[in-house]
Amino acid sequence: MDEQLVIEHLSKVYERGEVLALNDVSFTVKKGEFLVVIGLSGSGKSTLLRCINRLIEPTAGKVFFEGVDVTAASSRELLRIRRKMGMIFQQFNLVKRSSVLTNVLAGRLGYVNPWLSVIHKFPREDIELAFKNLDRVAIRDQAYKRADELSGGQQQRVGIARALMQEPDLLMADEPVSALDPATSHSVMKYLEQMNQEDGVTVITSLHFLSLARRYGTRILALKDGEIVFEGLPSEIDEARFKEIYGDEAEHVEVS
Amino acid sequence: MQDRYHAELMMDEPDFRKRFQSIRRRALVLLTDVIALSYLWTLASYCWNRFVLGTGSYITLPWWAMIIIAIEIAAVWENFGVSLGMHLLGVRLSSRSEESNPANHALRYLLWHIAPLSLISFFFSSKEEPWHDRVTHLYAVSAAEVEEKRVSWYRTSWKNALALIGVLTVLTAVGVTDMDLYALFTRASRTGRIWTRLLNPNFSLLGSGFRLLIVTIYMAFMATIFAIVVAVPLSFFAARNLAQGIIGRAIYTVVRVAISITRSIDAIIWAIIFLVWVRVGAFPGVLALFVHSIADLTKLYSERLESIDPGPVEAIRAAGGNKLQVILYGIIPQIINPYLSFTLYRWDINVRMATIIGIVGGGGIGQSLYQYMKVSDYSSAGMMMLLIVVTVWSIDYISARLRARLN
Ligand SMILES: Nc1ncnc2c1ncn2[C@@H]1O[C@H](COP(=O)(O)OP(=O)(O)OP(=O)(O)O)[C@@H](O)[C@H]1O
Ligand SMILES: [Mg+2]
Repeated sequence: MDEQLVIEHLSKVYERGEVLALNDVSFTVKKGEFLVVIGLSGSGKSTLLRCINRLIEPTAGKVFFEGVDVTAASSRELLRIRRKMGMIFQQFNLVKRSSVLTNVLAGRLGYVNPWLSVIHKFPREDIELAFKNLDRVAIRDQAYKRADELSGGQQQRVGIARALMQEPDLLMADEPVSALDPATSHSVMKYLEQMNQEDGVTVITSLHFLSLARRYGTRILALKDGEIVFEGLPSEIDEARFKEIYGDEAEHVEVS
Repeated sequence: MQDRYHAELMMDEPDFRKRFQSIRRRALVLLTDVIALSYLWTLASYCWNRFVLGTGSYITLPWWAMIIIAIEIAAVWENFGVSLGMHLLGVRLSSRSEESNPANHALRYLLWHIAPLSLISFFFSSKEEPWHDRVTHLYAVSAAEVEEKRVSWYRTSWKNALALIGVLTVLTAVGVTDMDLYALFTRASRTGRIWTRLLNPNFSLLGSGFRLLIVTIYMAFMATIFAIVVAVPLSFFAARNLAQGIIGRAIYTVVRVAISITRSIDAIIWAIIFLVWVRVGAFPGVLALFVHSIADLTKLYSERLESIDPGPVEAIRAAGGNKLQVILYGIIPQIINPYLSFTLYRWDINVRMATIIGIVGGGGIGQSLYQYMKVSDYSSAGMMMLLIVVTVWSIDYISARLRARLN
């Protein structure tokens, strides 16, 4: 298997507050992996994911995606690269007032003719693809509802369908289930697992609960204060490692 | 050994920022008290002159004498009690020795007068407090550090001062506005003639009044429509969260300043300016409303833009959308209804303003209302007022209903 994503000495300093959110982070992700990033709140998980597609501009270091230097890409090239990286968010990031279908189609914006998108015109194939993806996450019947009329779990499935519209090679998810209850969490995680196993999409997701990370991850990366403190298989995280990542006072919380 | 010596030197270095803040706080306390006391003095002398002596002058002392007296009273106040300024800025005098001693307070009051001299040493000495604090063991500290004991009367002197300021302000207001309750209650019958005429409108003017009304409504309409065209794009430059880079920031500042200046000039003033510019009629009225509406709408719109949910914007960027697509798919859906709602609201205001602007010659029904009033033709004026009331009421109602549906 080849290395799809290479991160080299990535650092991020937030000028405001002078926070060193990422400190010299390096790792690689192989095609088809399901990488889970864990760590305490404020450890830099969101920053890391957003530096990969440059939603946040890294301060130093390099990101290579399928051999292309993302950090050196021009803004035009960056749009091309981003199309191949789907992203799913903790707060779903849907346009609440727009319909589910419009939200899903927005995932296709990187592909369509920008001038046609001005008049909200999408090619017939894209609309068909949107329905196919809504079908995949089992909410086709909700297509014409307003996004904020859906439950949290359904909204996150809209988020997944939107990411699927990009036909991504890499899917990044920033705490995709933190706003959901345990049962719904599993149903959403299963869709990510499905994309990973059936479509061969590489998945990088940050998760709060170690139990979820163990259940779905093929590899785990733990961050603490912006540095990698563990990298390895889920089974390698024992009590000592757990304490190292989450601190001494931490207790295991299970999500069944 | 060398290192330790160095470390000690470093520790002794005065922390200028902290010092500067401490000095600034002391100065602000004094300034607040002096302003409050001068204000109190001015009002008191006005009330005395007005209600006791019957003259209308404000101050009997030269201003510099008043300031000196105010400073002196402030010094007493701050050294013996909790002054208004100390209360507002959260400063207390705290005795770090065993017990507080009246002589110490008196000493501090005296030393306080040469306190500015200590500024010189303040920056170079290693001590945190100025020396008049240290000599008397009375330190100006943050209010949070001292526990308030049982409150005796002089401790709440700032409350007394505030109450006095309140009472004197009302008294002064009564004086300067020539309030005359006697006239208010005894001379009402003189207006009887006006009321009867106003309430018996001249209905033969219905037709011409209606035509004038249409002019007024269209003035408001034109002004609103053209203001939208300018204000919508302008609002994107006036939103702080969208202003990026040095150029973006610069444009943001310029637009913001221009808007607040334009808004603070009343539409009536704009109407007078445009009357001179493009001559009397409805058009200068439209221009006045147009300019004022641009400023107002840009402000309302941009504030809405500043509170959008950044989530969808992030999502569209992540999907590879360009800047235009981010605006069209991430921002516009979030702002379209509020924008429409603000516009309706502004149209509603513009109809009301259009009638007022008529008074200075801006055309429409307001202008003839004013002309009838001027020649004391109150029944014709009554007809115009009836039309205005009905129109304003219905437009108010329609715009409220439409806005309720948008939310
Ligand atoms: N826009 C910002 N400006 C300044 N500091 C920031 C900003 N965003 C994040 N930080 C800081 O950077 C550090 C890492 O934040 P980040 O959001 O990446 O953590 P996280 O692991 O995703 O946390 P959480 O689990 O709470 O989402 C934190 O200390 C945070 O306070
Ligand atoms: Mg986060």
